[in-house]
Amino acid sequence: MNEQITLSEDERDCYQEITNVAMGQAADRLARLLGVYVVLPIPNVNIIEINEFKMTLKSLEGNATVSAVCQGFIGAGIAGEALLIFNDASFTDIAKLLDYPGNLDKHEELEMLMDVANVLNGACIQGIGGQLDIDFSQSHPVVLGQHCSISDLLNDKQNAWQRTMAIEINYTIEDHNINCDLLLLFTEDSVLHMNRLISFLLED
Amino acid sequence: MVSKVLICDDSNMARKQMARALPDHWPVEVTFAKHGQEAIEFIKANEFEVMFLDLTMPVMDGYETLEEIRKQDLPIMVLVVSGDIQPEAQERVKKLGAIDFIKKPVDQARITAVLTEYGIIGEAPNE
Repeated sequence: MNEQITLSEDERDCYQEITNVAMGQAADRLARLLGVYVVLPIPNVNIIEINEFKMTLKSLEGNATVSAVCQGFIGAGIAGEALLIFNDASFTDIAKLLDYPGNLDKHEELEMLMDVANVLNGACIQGIGGQLDIDFSQSHPVVLGQHCSISDLLNDKQNAWQRTMAIEINYTIEDHNINCDLLLLFTEDSVLHMNRLISFLLED
Repeated sequence: MVSKVLICDDSNMARKQMARALPDHWPVEVTFAKHGQEAIEFIKANEFEVMFLDLTMPVMDGYETLEEIRKQDLPIMVLVVSGDIQPEAQERVKKLGAIDFIKKPVDQARITAVLTEYGIIGEAPNE
């Protein structure tokens, strides 16, 4: 692939709006699962180099340890990964909301992580697909690490690509100490293809 | 008579989609605002019949805009148009004085139904 991927202001706006609708659908599912109100941010959409991506992840880190799940999706010439990163402090509150008794063992935490990842990733990916008329297939979620630092995650996954379109959504839950970041990463070829798809939405 | 309509959304695409989803037989003059603060300025300077208001916006979001409209007692009917479809979001905006909630992405049939329900437009001619 020689063609460099870029986004015009209109294209960025379009992806942001599509994400806005998709993450609203995902938040609605999570709100119903946990019986809470999910605070929705304005999503960030950027074309980034792998180095910048590492910096983005680092900035999410702070001092806290995290647990992360990724899930691939593919359909109609578009492929990407959804990466959900949880602040470990969130688990105590999620456990309360899901009525898990007492102290959590590693398996119970894993189960919760998978449940929430399924809801958020799934609804968001399908929400984006729905608006672009694409039926995405999703792979099984894979745990990248539990209770590790972002640096550990990064060292694990060495770069198979140079540039990507990254959509970043920070979900927080009102009145609870729950915080997670959902990153949607699209391959370079996918972005070229998606730019053609959204050009129909951008027509006057 | 031409109705004056305000569309407030931070996304250029969403503003255009909203304008396109207005009923064909409704004579309107549309004004666009990029966030709540701009919308409030427009409402104070001009008379608008109805505003379509997004929730998630920079500077002043939809909730704050509704509060401001209530605080200043501004005469405008507000329909919230948002991707935030949580039941709680819908309840909150209605408590803050929005007359109804419309899910994104918008479609013309739903917009027409809501506008008809509240008597903002009459029945469509010859339909």
